[in-house]
Amino acid sequence: MSEINAETDAEVKEGDQDDNVTTQSRDYADQHARDQPKDEMTEPKRSAVETIDSLLGEFDDDDSLSGYNYAYLDEHTKREVRRSIIKAISIPGHQVPYASRPMPLARGWGTGGIQASLSLLGPDDTFKVIDQGSDESVNAANIRRLASNTADVETTTDTTNADIIQTRHRIPEEVLTDEQILVLQVPVTDPLRKVDGSDAANRRRHAHRNYGKMWVHLYENVVEWGEINIAARYPTMVAGRYLMDPSPIPRWDVPKLDHADSLFIFAAGREARIYAVPPHTSVEPLAFEDRTFQVERFPGVSCHACGSTDTYLTEVETDDGSVYYSCNDASFCHKRQQNPELDRDHHIKQSIDGWGPGVSDPDSGDTAGDTE
Amino acid sequence: MGYVAVKAGEELIERAADLFEKQRLNGDTEPVSVDQLEEQLGRTVAQVMSEGGVYAPRLAALAVKQAQGDTVEAAFLLRAYRSTLERWDETVPVDPNEMFAIRRVSPAYKDVPGGQILGPTKDYTQRLLDFALTNEGKTQSGGTKEPMDPTAEWDVTTEEAPESLANVMSVLRSEGLVHEPDSPEITDPTDTTRESLTHPADRDAILQELARGETGAMTALGYSALRGYGQVHPTLAEVRIGRLPVMIEHPYTEETATITDIEVSESEAIVPVYAKRDDPQFAFGYGLTFGRNERKTIAMTILDASIQLDSDAEPAENPEFVLDIIDGMDSFGFIEHLKLPHYVTFQSILDRIRGIRQRTADSDSTHATQSDGTTTTEVECDE
Repeated sequence: MSEINAETDAEVKEGDQDDNVTTQSRDYADQHARDQPKDEMTEPKRSAVETIDSLLGEFDDDDSLSGYNYAYLDEHTKREVRRSIIKAISIPGHQVPYASRPMPLARGWGTGGIQASLSLLGPDDTFKVIDQGSDESVNAANIRRLASNTADVETTTDTTNADIIQTRHRIPEEVLTDEQILVLQVPVTDPLRKVDGSDAANRRRHAHRNYGKMWVHLYENVVEWGEINIAARYPTMVAGRYLMDPSPIPRWDVPKLDHADSLFIFAAGREARIYAVPPHTSVEPLAFEDRTFQVERFPGVSCHACGSTDTYLTEVETDDGSVYYSCNDASFCHKRQQNPELDRDHHIKQSIDGWGPGVSDPDSGDTAGDTE
Repeated sequence: MGYVAVKAGEELIERAADLFEKQRLNGDTEPVSVDQLEEQLGRTVAQVMSEGGVYAPRLAALAVKQAQGDTVEAAFLLRAYRSTLERWDETVPVDPNEMFAIRRVSPAYKDVPGGQILGPTKDYTQRLLDFALTNEGKTQSGGTKEPMDPTAEWDVTTEEAPESLANVMSVLRSEGLVHEPDSPEITDPTDTTRESLTHPADRDAILQELARGETGAMTALGYSALRGYGQVHPTLAEVRIGRLPVMIEHPYTEETATITDIEVSESEAIVPVYAKRDDPQFAFGYGLTFGRNERKTIAMTILDASIQLDSDAEPAENPEFVLDIIDGMDSFGFIEHLKLPHYVTFQSILDRIRGIRQRTADSDSTHATQSDGTTTTEVECDE
């Protein structure tokens, strides 16, 4: 990843020089060739003619997609995506258009996320994919397979081992560090879509920081139901400037975005937009002084497998009609089953108390979720 | 719901895909060849090329086979493949009048220069199931025989080719009856596959998006305009099917060279909406699709004309609405993604509704006469 960062830095400086792209692409091919047959490379020399044939042969031997570029996308596309990411980081919360390519996954199934991930991944990186908190979900497995087949990356299910984590609808329970990037799949890019279907009109609202219609909507919520009844996709203000749709993460995860150490990239394939929350950026859910933001509550229940009471739980209906609760973050639940005392910031030297609800004592009443 | 090793997920995917493949091979018949699909299901292949945005009949036929006849899935396979191809060059714009037409009808006039050419069509026949087709190519004893070519005995040598197929639209334009298209102030054409669409979109981008639109969605939206949700009820100047040359500038000699030709469907319409008060002229619409797909090209014509009215009074006249929803890849993907697990967001929704019900119940018990407890509660979560 560090090497990719260096290269993105370079491309910003060098601007539009096309020959640079060619070199870069050749570098990748060489690198790929070097990395693939590590054992065979111990042989002293190979003739030039043999190299091409043997390279093709290697494609046949393993599970890779033969005939496709490293990390599937062509280098121009990956560069364009990285540039959009840099722009998104520079203007936190602002939706940057990019030419989302058709991917070999259906749109709405993580095509934005995978384009961002593949544009950032290098052969030395470790990649984790979760869907609704689970590594084992079939769609997560499919995305992970595309990345490992084409980008030759290591994959992991351990949140703390991953350089890049692609996720749908969750932020992991274990605290992310400044060496990690979380790529969130985004179905609907604009929080204002709730109040106006027109993106053209909403773009004007964002330009003028005119979020009155959303405030009225929240107020109407309170009038009608006594509280704001938005479940997931909770509208959040980023760096006090742009209203952002944090993707359909539960409210539980929204506080994790605020002043985090890690970089969050939100990528939508179908809607062709990328936006970002850089590290150490304020992210504030919209709420009223007397109707505060509330996360999901799980009163009196714990995970049936690991006993956790400080994680996001989902309920499972069983055949006999009973209901039990289960940690949603499957990887962390697995660790907690080995070690029930494991903290969510166990892998970090200093203790973190900003990582969402429940890092500090859930009963102490100081978390956002316990305001009622 | 214990933690399962990652390998299990991948094996499940492979097995599910194997089962799908097995469905294609379940029957007793020979597998359908790609050649057969390309030659005999030309309309399906054309639709897939048009929605996939790449002219490649053989690849489209392969995609149809792989997708087991699902046109949107097949178009999606083509698009995913297309996005891995290098973009070499832009073709030289070609005048549609250069088309070698096999069919051309002009509903606007009884007769037109060059004449009405019906060409191959079943438009004017009764739609009766042809049971003879079930045994096509088989003899009564169960052997095979050549299918009958109904045109085998035709004598076409006496018919002379028409001298010209002057474009009906250009006849009307020469009389000043039809509004000229606004000439775009651009040198390079937009490519919406390389530059994401933002609104308001230029007309070249609009036409590209329409040309790749999903046939069913285009038909439905075009129909909505005719059905009363719009002002556009066009008179078609022409509908043509034929082959257009593909020309590029030679990289060294810079001369224009024809490299191949492609089959297209084209349609143009005049719309009795007057653009200017001082000089009343008809508005117009244009449609062009890869391959033979008259329904889509006419729908495109209606939508182009409707979008040029640029109003948000009617769905078909609102460019943002039309362009956001006609793409088959977008709509199919997002509709079907609802099959993916959503238990995280559902838990979040449950939390909200239980919270509100709890509070309602609490306030009911304190003000017992206030409510009958059957209030409907909505929880917002679009995902």
